Amino acid sequence: MSEASTTDVPWQRLSVRVIWVDIVVSVLSLSPGAVAIWGFGVEPSLDALWPLAIVAAVGVTGAVGDIIRWAFTTYRVTAVDIERRTGLFVKQHRTLRRERVRSVDTAAKLRHRLAGLRVVTVGAGQQTGSGESALVLDALARADAVALRERLLADPDPDPVSISDPASASDPASVPAGADPATRGEDVEVFATFKPWWVVYNMFSIWAYLMAAGLSWGAFWLASSFGVDLFGFVTRLTDWGALGWVGIVLIALVVAGVIGAIGLGVNFLLGYWNFELARVRTSSRSYLRTRRGLLSTREVNRDESRMRGMSIGEPLLWRWMGMADTNVITTGLSVWDPEEPTAILPRGPISVARKVARDVFGDADPMSVPLTRHPRAALRRRLWWATVVSAIAPLALTVPAIAGVVPVWLPWATLGLWPIALGAAVIAYRSLGHAIAGDHLVVRSGLFSRTTAALRRDAVSTIAIRQSVLQRRLGLSTVSAMTAAGWSAYEAPDMPDSAALTFAADAAPGVLDEFVEGGVAVERGFAVERG
Amino acid sequence: MTSIAEHQNDVRLRPPSLRVERRAIGWWMLRNAIACGIPLAALVVAANIWEPARAWLAAPVVAVALILVVKVAIEPWWRFRVHRWEITERASYAQSGWLVVERRVAPTSRIQTVDAVRGPLEQAFGLSTLRVTTASSYGAIAIRGLDRRTAEDAAARLTVVAELSEGDAT
Repeated sequence: MSEASTTDVPWQRLSVRVIWVDIVVSVLSLSPGAVAIWGFGVEPSLDALWPLAIVAAVGVTGAVGDIIRWAFTTYRVTAVDIERRTGLFVKQHRTLRRERVRSVDTAAKLRHRLAGLRVVTVGAGQQTGSGESALVLDALARADAVALRERLLADPDPDPVSISDPASASDPASVPAGADPATRGEDVEVFATFKPWWVVYNMFSIWAYLMAAGLSWGAFWLASSFGVDLFGFVTRLTDWGALGWVGIVLIALVVAGVIGAIGLGVNFLLGYWNFELARVRTSSRSYLRTRRGLLSTREVNRDESRMRGMSIGEPLLWRWMGMADTNVITTGLSVWDPEEPTAILPRGPISVARKVARDVFGDADPMSVPLTRHPRAALRRRLWWATVVSAIAPLALTVPAIAGVVPVWLPWATLGLWPIALGAAVIAYRSLGHAIAGDHLVVRSGLFSRTTAALRRDAVSTIAIRQSVLQRRLGLSTVSAMTAAGWSAYEAPDMPDSAALTFAADAAPGVLDEFVEGGVAVERGFAVERG
Repeated sequence: MTSIAEHQNDVRLRPPSLRVERRAIGWWMLRNAIACGIPLAALVVAANIWEPARAWLAAPVVAVALILVVKVAIEPWWRFRVHRWEITERASYAQSGWLVVERRVAPTSRIQTVDAVRGPLEQAFGLSTLRVTTASSYGAIAIRGLDRRTAEDAAARLTVVAELSEGDAT
């Protein structure tokens, strides 16, 4: 801060168009009420119009708050820092070192796009899982946002002649940068683009029912504000009493499922239209960039030097159709973010996920390495646990059943869960696997989502070997590799004791060396190697 | 690394060299007695006051009582036999647990913070916990049941050694 060049940089405001957007939002949020009163002749009382009154109140307060936020927010980018001052009552001054910038997102909701605005989120090496982005500028004019992104993603001290390496530009796989002047000096290599039929993979999920509930409720109160009784309409559709409750529940499940699936499908098409995954190389750095969105758009640039690996998850119910979730393991991007900045592909076919893994990792793709299966003892451990867990409900219900509080058949009925648990144990066992592949360690496990994760070995910051009493009897150990990125811990459950030490030593090269000793002696209590 | 891989059939991970304080047994006993005693008392009181619920509360009361006995009479002694630690120039190494035994190793170059933490119960026993954290939110090594002085010395020494390493340890 003491340098003259740093203090000279003027503070800038967010785009003034934010205010115009807010005024329009206020007017729009008042309009449903106005239409209902003057267009449909609804009586202007709070009883009839409370949903629209809430919409108007939320819209107007939000917009006014936003204008106040705009008035008190300034930012600047100096040679070393990016700074933001904000807050009316609580003044906040956040400074971020430019060298610690790991990702720059630009996002735009529909209102931002119509106004030519972009929301810029700058991510630094903060703890993942803290759920907080480092710095958000909401919003800048589109050109300013592009310029800011270029500036932050370029080198901290840029070379005046930063033209991409001609050797890599002539690479057959690389696509020449477009006419957009903003992409000068960049080398873009496209890995995947949007396929509309991926919508099939994104329509079927348990969230469909939540979606259906939300849509129905919204439709119900919106219609009731305009004097339409949706509930009465549905009641008159058929003679519900004749169907019995089983029929009603079945129809409700099917109808809600269809509504929800359509909702999810539309949501996917809107969110991922124009999707593109590409590697962008500037003179010294490279980024994995995703762009997506039809009405709201979102662009995420992930610094590849912060990438620690990749994970591919295959959900249990949809494994037969080869459904896969593809995420990068990286520092500085939250895995809890609902916008899923770590997902480099939408949910889609596993073949595409594998191809992208090959593209990203190059020749040494750890995702294609055959994995070592885990011993049968791991299956036995899972079967034991399935049995123990299944026994809890019958045992807990025994006394109430004897006392006559619950019917006598109930404890027996809960035994029916036992075969299901045993089946789950087999499925969970079959997903186990591990390998060391070049610079990466690869682990695979998971019942509901079989997840294969490849993690760079030099990113492992703590290594742990765990053994329960049952595992000791079965000669098994669980190895965990802890890291700063992604889910923080990646586990290889139930490896044979002998392989566990080798795997742990290879997963974190050199770390265990001084604690490893030769000989076949077995120590009581914790024997990694059984002589 | 390669040497381990080559001779994997006759190598093992030796336990850390140092034991924790014997006083820790008392601390674990008291801690577990409080942690299990409160829910047990609540269940017993509920069963006495609320007659219709007795059939439902019988199994939980028996289960919690059994857990209390195990955690006070067995767990502390078992833990004392398992818990060990060692800090070298290059790494921090700890073994902990009882039913599930875990060994953790964190290289000194990845250490982000070192703290000697003392809860109210630990203070009564003159004990301290040495917490070594790395950039991973699950990667922390907690060495419990150390003498207060030992933990502070180890923390000070480790801080000096860790500062020698450059980089942001992620």
